Formats: sequence, C-alpha cells, structure tokens
Amino acid sequence: MRNVLTFAAILLISACRTDYDIEEVATAEFLGQDHVHADSCETCGEETTEVEHDHPEGEHVHDPAGSDRHIHEAGVRNHGTEWFFNQPWAADFIWGKMVRDSVILVLLATGLIILSGYRRKNR
Amino acid sequence: MRPVMTFALMTLRSLLRRRTIWGISIVILIALVGIGQVPGYGVSNQGRFMLDFGLFGLEIGTLLLAIGLASNIYPRDRERKTVMPIIAVPLSRGQYLMGRFVGAALVQAAAMLAGCLGLMVILMLNEHAIPPDLFPATGLLIVEGWFLLAVVFFFSFWTSPPLNAPLTILLFIVSQMSVSGFVGLLPTAPGIMRTLRLLLPHMDVFHIKDPIAHGMDVPGLYFLLAMVYGLSYMVFMLAVALAVFRKRDLK
Repeated sequence: MRNVLTFAAILLISACRTDYDIEEVATAEFLGQDHVHADSCETCGEETTEVEHDHPEGEHVHDPAGSDRHIHEAGVRNHGTEWFFNQPWAADFIWGKMVRDSVILVLLATGLIILSGYRRKNR
Repeated sequence: MRPVMTFALMTLRSLLRRRTIWGISIVILIALVGIGQVPGYGVSNQGRFMLDFGLFGLEIGTLLLAIGLASNIYPRDRERKTVMPIIAVPLSRGQYLMGRFVGAALVQAAAMLAGCLGLMVILMLNEHAIPPDLFPATGLLIVEGWFLLAVVFFFSFWTSPPLNAPLTILLFIVSQMSVSGFVGLLPTAPGIMRTLRLLLPHMDVFHIKDPIAHGMDVPGLYFLLAMVYGLSYMVFMLAVALAVFRKRDLK
C-alpha cells in the first residue's frame, strides 16, 4: 500500500505543477488589465460631471455627484479587483491545465485501482 | 452494476431514516430564510448580497452534508459487524464502496437542488431577478459535494469519525488557498509547503458565486471543465479510498 501511495504521490508531484496558481502564471497583459488611473486627469473640470475620457487603461465616467470618484462600466476592471479576476473562471489560460490535471487524475485512479486489486489478489 | 445500484438504494433509504440529514437540511433552509429577511435599507442591488450569501451558505452546507452523511457509514458498519457478511458474499469491496458512495451522493444532490430552489424562491419573494447561471452553479456545488464525500469516505477508512470532520474541514480550507498563500503559512519551508500544496486539490475552481452575484456571464465551457475536474478528483479520491479499504483487515 505504501508503495502504491508513494507511486501516486510521485506521479502527482511531477505532473501537476505549480503553474496552476493564477498569480504566478498569469501574463503581464492579464494582470495589467487592472485599471490604473493616470495622474493627468485635470481636464475633467469641476463643472463637468459626466464626461468620458480617452484613458490609457480603460474608460470611466465621473461620479455624477461631483466627487473625485469615477465609475467604471459593469464588467470593466476597477481598482483593487485583482482578487476578483484572479479566479479560474476569469483566467481562461488555465482551463487547459484543468483538462490536463483531469486526465492525469483519471489515469492515476485507474492505475491505483488496478494495482490495489492486483495486490489484494496476491495476498 | 445492478448490485451496486441495489446497495446504493439501500444506503439512500437508511440515510433518509437518519436525523442528521434532515437536521443539516433544515439548518441550510433556515439560513436561506434568514438571508431573505435581511432588510435592504433601500440599497438598489440587495439581490447581489442575497445571492452571494445564499451560494456561500449552500457551499458550507455541502461540506456539512458530506461530513454528516458519510463520516459514520463505514465505522457504523464495522462496529455492527454488518460489513463482513456484505463483502463476504454478495459484494466486492469496490462494490461496497461504490454502493455506499452513490447512495450518499444521491441524497447530497437532492439536498443541494432543494437548497437552490429555496434560494430561487427567496429571490422571487424579494422581487429580485434569478440569474440564469444559478442552476449550473448549483451543479458545480453538487460536484464539489461529491468530491468532499469521496474525501470523507477516504478518511473514514483509516480515522475515527471525530477526527474525520476536522481533517475534511482542514482540507476544505487549505484547498481554497493559492500556492503563494499556502506557502505563506510556513515561509521558512517554502519547498515542503509548495510540494504539499501540489498534492491538494484546487477547490477554487468551484468558486463561482462572485461573478454570478455581480451579474457577469460565465462561459458554459468553464462550468463543463470545472465539473470534469471535480469529477476526476472525486474518482481519484475514491480510488485512494478503495486502495486503503482493500488493504484493511476487517477481522
């Protein structure tokens, strides 16, 4: 049994690599999609309340109430939302790794069932 | 296959006779009703919070159900010595495990579907829209529950029931952590922690409540892949559980 588990563990370690962690494997482009507000936004003017600007990282609308805040369109990345978008459903570049791990796990399971059955027969 | 299904239905009937399943299901429904009673204070997107808390409650419910349903099955069979006559003639050890697992999985799926319908009713009563992804999300929760059931069965073959629950809860918690977060638990041994994390499942693939609560579309392909991943891990855990069970001396 110990041999079977060791064999499974070695296979699992060598097959399922750390490249599953989105924070570690995401491209700079993916991580850089988070909106960074430029300093040069003086053109907004106090009297303009709903002005859209060409923004280097995305579009936003200023708060109609006139505060310094600005509002993004629904679904557009906003400040401090890395945790939200660094989840598997949003990171399609790891979906292939999910398939890879699924295949490895099924193969491991098949190997374990065959090996444990074989050992039980030979007891 | 037929002996397994017959044994699974026997398991289902015996589980429905227990008070545990009803107790946990009632707690889940009371929690959902409680979420529906939280005053909105005029907040326009109150439905988002209801969905968020509701799906979180269902996820915790699936963990509690897995522990409540499966942690006692094998220890009880062994204590009452019913496992020996069962696996002596009519069933192999693999068929025993599959029968018990399928019976518990059916109960778990039914409870999750009831929880999903309860959440839909609460959303409708509070005049909030029901997101179209709620049913696929419930499907993902059911698969997560089946995976947890397999984990509980695995632990039940070599630990006592009081130890089974904390071990499963611990696995549930650490499996949600990212690699960097897990290594951060013991920064002095990053190599060991990284290797340990590799052996644990990535249960963050089941996290779907955030986009649903915020009204974002989740591709159908993702639901499919996440379910395949969860089912594959479930099969692997059942294979490990079977390997342990085959090794056990029941005399």
